[in-house]
Amino acid sequence: MNAIELSHIEKSFGGFAIQDLSLTVPSGTICGLVGENGAGKSTTIRLLMGALRPDSGAAAVLGTDVTSPAFTAVKEDIGVVLDEAYFPETLNALQVGKILASTYRQWDQSAYDGYLDRFDLPGRKPFKDFSRGMKMKLAIAAALSHRPKLLVLDEATSGLDPIVRDQVLELFNEFTREEDHSILISSHIVSDLEKLCDYIAFLHRGRLLFCEEKDRLLEDFGLFTGTAEQAESLLPEAVAGREASGYGGVRALVRRSLVPESLALDRPTVEDVILFIVKGEETR
Amino acid sequence: MKALIQKDVYVLWKQMKIFVIVMLVIMAGNGSFGSVFVVIWCAMLPYTALAYDERCKWDQLAAMMPYSPRDLVLSKYVLGWLCAGAAGALVLAAQAVIRAFRLPLETGSPLAVLISFCASVCVLAITLPLMFRFSVERGRMVMFLVIFLVCGGAGALGAVLAPDGAPVPGNMAALLSMAAVLAPIAAAVLTAVSIPLSLRICAARR
Repeated sequence: MNAIELSHIEKSFGGFAIQDLSLTVPSGTICGLVGENGAGKSTTIRLLMGALRPDSGAAAVLGTDVTSPAFTAVKEDIGVVLDEAYFPETLNALQVGKILASTYRQWDQSAYDGYLDRFDLPGRKPFKDFSRGMKMKLAIAAALSHRPKLLVLDEATSGLDPIVRDQVLELFNEFTREEDHSILISSHIVSDLEKLCDYIAFLHRGRLLFCEEKDRLLEDFGLFTGTAEQAESLLPEAVAGREASGYGGVRALVRRSLVPESLALDRPTVEDVILFIVKGEETR
Repeated sequence: MKALIQKDVYVLWKQMKIFVIVMLVIMAGNGSFGSVFVVIWCAMLPYTALAYDERCKWDQLAAMMPYSPRDLVLSKYVLGWLCAGAAGALVLAAQAVIRAFRLPLETGSPLAVLISFCASVCVLAITLPLMFRFSVERGRMVMFLVIFLVCGGAGALGAVLAPDGAPVPGNMAALLSMAAVLAPIAAAVLTAVSIPLSLRICAARR
């Protein structure tokens, strides 16, 4: 079963539109949704959680159409962490726990208490006095304490210091040790996604440019570094994007299958792939 | 729904408990005007809860949690009814204490408390769709307009009932009896229209 299936989703807001978005996240995998600010990551998450209705297309999460009334019950199995915690600021962690215990039938109070201890979160301190890291930890604790099968994380690690980010990523890794647990995580911190994800989906100006297995993506592309003359000799369809590298040199992201095997190529990072593809799009 | 009301109660109690208690104490011994004022004022507390929701963007998170759109809307109505009902019950209890101990304070009519509860349900029914449509900041402007019209209407009615400045007892009794019948009907009708309207407004925002 697929954890998430978006099929030909269109949503227009006047100046911005999600265009023909099809995305599948198989159950048991971690998919990273990458894109610049304003690319449509949060809109995509709102669409797949049923918080926005698409103009056309279909969205199903954990096998249920998100526009159907039955999806409200399916949300029991989905843990959501947004870019901020969004709990009323006068509440404290204990009150948040009580509210969520009344919200989720599968709420596990001992798991929640365990996360509060693990993250050193005070129970009675008002939420407004929490640091950003503490707020995000509380949101993550809340999302994990109702035994979800799918975690949807929208910029959940942005603004966190590296130590907290590392703790949080470790927690997400622990979550996916259960084979039916899946994660969709949006971020523009590509290095986090590279550590964590099985699949990378890249959104650019409301369009999904690719959704590929991370390892395959890094195997399919190579980084060429050479002279302008050497670059010109490459097939145009082999070059996904290029840039001048100084002293007349050229760096280019190329498809390995379309260049001679003898050509020396470096292994790109996910960030390289994304940056070159954007450059390729802009020069087209 | 229980969780949503629980959240609003935590938020409101933390912020307003002293204020609410002082209002109840002051107004309980201030005749019918005080009783009516405090019940209607307490019915406005959902707007404070909505303002806190807007400030922390709770609606964005709530839309992704297992709350139905109906529960999200209905919880604000229920909160208003509970606040107005609790205020009415406390005012009646305070009036009973004042009468029992013959304290030198003016108590209002218990019927006025019932009518004020119905009036607060009417005000909620008229203004909550506006809050959902325009957000609390702009919705409050319209709410003040509604309150101004209600007060103006009450003043005009008073001028008819008490043309020389002093109320005619027979007129007042007749007015209270008529209001005791009409106010619950008006509250029921307005609420029956208001809730579907609010649901439609919230659905359109998606």
